[in-house]
Amino acid sequence: MDGRSNVLLVAGPSGVGKTATIHAIALHLGVTIWEWTTPTPTVWPEHLHNSNSGLQYISKLDEFEGFVERVRKYGLTSPMLKGSQASVILLVDDLPVVNGRDVYGRLQRCLTLLVQLVRIPTAIVITNYDKDDSADLSTRCWEELLVSLYSAGACKVNFNPVTVNSIKKTLTTICRKEQREVDAGSIELIAKASGGDVRHAINSLQYLCLKPHRRPILPSKERLDNVRCMDDVFSLPFGKDETLSLFHALGKFLHNKRESEHTIASVRDTFLLKEKFVRFPLKMDAPEVVLCQAHGQARTLSEFLHENVLDFLSEEAIDDAWLVASYLSDADFLLSSLNGHLSRDFGAENIIQSAAASVAARGVLFGNAHPVPSRWHAIRRPKLWEVEQSSRRNKCQMFSQRSDLYNSLTITDQIVMATEFRPSLKWLGFRASESFQADGMVEDSTCLHENKLDLSDDEIEDW
Amino acid sequence: MLWVDKYRPKTLDKVIVHQDVAQNLQKLVSEGDCPHLLFYGPSGSGKKTLIMALLRQIFGPSADKVKVENKIWKVDVSFSLNFFFFSFRMQAGTRTIDVELTTLSSTHHVELNPSDAGFQDRYVVQEIIKEMAKNRPIDTKGKKGFKVLVLNEVDKLSREAQHSLRRTMEKYSASCRLILCSNSSSKVTEAVRSRCLNVRINAPMEEEIVNVLEFIAKKEGLQIPQGFAARIAEKSNRNLRRAVLTFEACRVQQYPFTNNQAIPPMDWEQYVSEIASDIMKEQSPKRLFEVRGKLYELLTNCIPPEIILKRLLFELLKKLDSELKHEVSNWAAHYEHRMRLGQKSIFHLEAFVAKFMSIYKSFLVSTFG
Amino acid sequence: MAPVMQTSQPWVEKYRPKQVKDVAHQDEVVRVLTNTLETSNCPHMLFYGPPGTGKTTTALAIAHQLFGPELYKSRVLELNASDDRGINVVRTKIKNFAAVAVGSNRHGGYPCPPFKIIILDEADSMTQDAQNALRRTMETYSKVTRFFFICNYISRIIEPLASRCAKFRFKPLTEEIMGSRILHICKEEGLNLDSEALSTLSSISQGDLRRAITFLQSAARLFGSSISAKDLISVSGVIPNEVVQAIFSACRSGNFDLANKEVNNVIAEGYPVSQMLSQLYDIVIDADDISDEQKARICKKFAEADKCLVDGADEYLQLLNVASSTMQALSNMPQDMAF
Repeated sequence: MDGRSNVLLVAGPSGVGKTATIHAIALHLGVTIWEWTTPTPTVWPEHLHNSNSGLQYISKLDEFEGFVERVRKYGLTSPMLKGSQASVILLVDDLPVVNGRDVYGRLQRCLTLLVQLVRIPTAIVITNYDKDDSADLSTRCWEELLVSLYSAGACKVNFNPVTVNSIKKTLTTICRKEQREVDAGSIELIAKASGGDVRHAINSLQYLCLKPHRRPILPSKERLDNVRCMDDVFSLPFGKDETLSLFHALGKFLHNKRESEHTIASVRDTFLLKEKFVRFPLKMDAPEVVLCQAHGQARTLSEFLHENVLDFLSEEAIDDAWLVASYLSDADFLLSSLNGHLSRDFGAENIIQSAAASVAARGVLFGNAHPVPSRWHAIRRPKLWEVEQSSRRNKCQMFSQRSDLYNSLTITDQIVMATEFRPSLKWLGFRASESFQADGMVEDSTCLHENKLDLSDDEIEDW
Repeated sequence: MLWVDKYRPKTLDKVIVHQDVAQNLQKLVSEGDCPHLLFYGPSGSGKKTLIMALLRQIFGPSADKVKVENKIWKVDVSFSLNFFFFSFRMQAGTRTIDVELTTLSSTHHVELNPSDAGFQDRYVVQEIIKEMAKNRPIDTKGKKGFKVLVLNEVDKLSREAQHSLRRTMEKYSASCRLILCSNSSSKVTEAVRSRCLNVRINAPMEEEIVNVLEFIAKKEGLQIPQGFAARIAEKSNRNLRRAVLTFEACRVQQYPFTNNQAIPPMDWEQYVSEIASDIMKEQSPKRLFEVRGKLYELLTNCIPPEIILKRLLFELLKKLDSELKHEVSNWAAHYEHRMRLGQKSIFHLEAFVAKFMSIYKSFLVSTFG
Repeated sequence: MAPVMQTSQPWVEKYRPKQVKDVAHQDEVVRVLTNTLETSNCPHMLFYGPPGTGKTTTALAIAHQLFGPELYKSRVLELNASDDRGINVVRTKIKNFAAVAVGSNRHGGYPCPPFKIIILDEADSMTQDAQNALRRTMETYSKVTRFFFICNYISRIIEPLASRCAKFRFKPLTEEIMGSRILHICKEEGLNLDSEALSTLSSISQGDLRRAITFLQSAARLFGSSISAKDLISVSGVIPNEVVQAIFSACRSGNFDLANKEVNNVIAEGYPVSQMLSQLYDIVIDADDISDEQKARICKKFAEADKCLVDGADEYLQLLNVASSTMQALSNMPQDMAF
């Protein structure tokens, strides 16, 4: 292991075979795997009960700390290995979940210690949940963690999501071995719906085979091509459909399919609207129903809509653009209105969330009064996320420069730094201002996410 | 060293602008009675300079020996948890949070930007004052002296933080004095304001800025042509710091100065004015999308969105017919308010741009057909 | 060496009346309370009224006159809003204090009735929960404690609490009363105050004696013993009339750029915009040549802008918006901003 530590970091999304790979390697080398098993999680009532009876609650993190401490002090000695002389691989699969800065710090210290001290081959498996929302604190923490462990000497292997073709192959093999008749269409469907998660695909397959006589609700080929009309697919019992159905909902809202004339004649008699407010009836379920399927991630939805909606407006319709923008502004306002309430009221939050989502969705539908004739658009991932990230990074950089760059007697405000000092320093030719190149920064962060970006585009194109 | 720092007046009697305020401050200190102070006024008007000079006046040259520290404060916070599956709230005791803050301190004073700490600001203020009160310097007669805490950007402190500030001000008034510094006094709560002596620092007039620039030129041995300093002053929008920075930039760019020398603009302002002319040229969703990209770039460079909006309005108003100005400024105010309440400033910035485009287009259509 | 600061006592404390009968201008209140003092029996009390009219002074004076300086510490608990005053504090602090029984023996010539007094200053800033919790506490300890609530807005005190108390309304002070009080202080402190300064002081403090005294002390600190009207204005944060008038006449002129320039000037001078709004409001209301409808339009805008400022909106944009709307209203332009 060429001077680096004995630790291998295995990172990747769930179900791409991280743990399986380790096991396979161990089998191949003929070594035993010793896995750090986590204690059973304690649920809250149990905790209450235990604390009454004097039992001390030990968090998973505490246990993990204890474990690392043992490794540090004694190495991995006999009682753990039950005397077996064979070489071992230590496998840490289930990292404690941490929330909050200080706890996270403890975990990081622990792991770094482990990386530096352990003498036997060790694999640490890290699952990236939901890498999408980069604004999330925990995601950033994980990224930081990976970097810090890497710099502590661990080797790193990244797993990418499994391609549709490989999943198809795997599924076909399984079918053959299990001697089940599953038609190619279903397999393809499952493979695509799994989002690169083999485990999920196999589970789906098994589920499908449980009901031998029921074909999956099979979309015919031509319907497959036309994603947006394909409601049924998403009700497939085995779809790994969270993000996909978000895209699906987005597609509906953005394309804004409407009837070409009023179907109900009596509309006029009952309720008179000014002409500019009249819209033809929607060719879809009520937006809230569609949102329901998209699991109502209001914030994400509004960001996606904001990123993409301008592509779907017709060339001249700047009034529409404003209308849409104003509704999105309303949605953001709603989403923020509960912020800052430390003790959260979950009921109220839920209502606000769905209200905001429906304002955003309906705003887009209503505002886009002259939708362009249907044509192909890739749905982009919000650029806002990268912008926020790099802006945060720039801010940190600015803070760190603040003290050593100007030996002034006062602390400079951040605004003044950004709007006055940095531009002037650029004129003055200070080296420190080279980081100002905005384009460089943005490009940089796009690269980081390019993989993911392509992926989401692919998904849509596939459909 | 930048000229801004190099020619910052060190003592109260050396200040060039705000001499009246300086005199009053001197009087205040000479009577040995220093209340809590609140300095307010626009950015670049000289609040900090006056505060530094005041500290020097009180403590002598030792106030200049400052060190910058990046300290992590351990703060105990009592908090309540909401177990939603139990649907009751319980007091879950205290936990310790770490708050990282940059402070600048001498033996007699500590300066910090509490708003850097985000929403944990209130804990920070209390904790720091407590600690300051604990290790007070002791003077020759064995009496305990007092320390000064300089808090910047008080207007950005949350309401809770300001609230806790007023209690702290009373509690520790024997051991420390607060000097608060804020851009607008509207955003400082009445309770805090009424406990301080309020000192308004107005932005220096253009003539005063010219005086300062000429003073610096003399010290640096530079020749400035007639009217050159006035042009810088005019561009600076009555912001002295900016004027001095620009002046130095001019010096680097071209010397000897010529009368028609271009005065280097702040790059982001340049950029905003490009955005404005983009908007004026074409009003379409496509153009709106391009504008969004440019706004993103400004945001990436930490230019605060409200400043972008204000500058954009400024640029647009320059080019507009007066009948549209009312409506446009009205919408600017509307969306800036929204931005303050919302989280994603780009949504609101963009809504403003879209609204402007829509207004302007219908104006063009109605005028020119 | 650190210079030693003599902490000068705020004049507000220094000149606080010590006796109920000295409390300025609140005749009815004083009459009732003097009666209370004689019989040395009192109900729970609720003092309400605008700030600086003597509510806290009265409460403290009663307590002092009932118990005298020696027993004061053990018999009176002062809680003000700056203390952490959640439910827990109310429960524990008050309970601990109220639980100790007291006897009634005259002490050093003070009546010393057999109860304790809890003064809750700024009671209207207490949460509803805390107020509800108090209700029980009041009943439980009603034998041994009396509560004095002090608040600005009686509407923020929950009804069950208010109904348990004798209510006293404090009126804003008139200019003469304030003037005599201020002159008294000036004499004691050796200050020179001309009549113009005196009337300015009364008008900028708007019936709030505490503010007036604070302004006076600040001015004395900054400008020495002879104080002019201008000094007082600069200390109080009130915007000079010329500046307000300049904005208003710019609005009348109907020239947007002129108004914009004035607004920029106000911001550069560092005047607080909220203050500007309230002073503009006075001018608009008093103007004879503006129709009621115009006034209504303008004031509506003021209200909106004020709310936005509270939310933390940008001062320049809000003031510009107000100026532009005022201009539109004055020249009877149609209102836009239609959705």
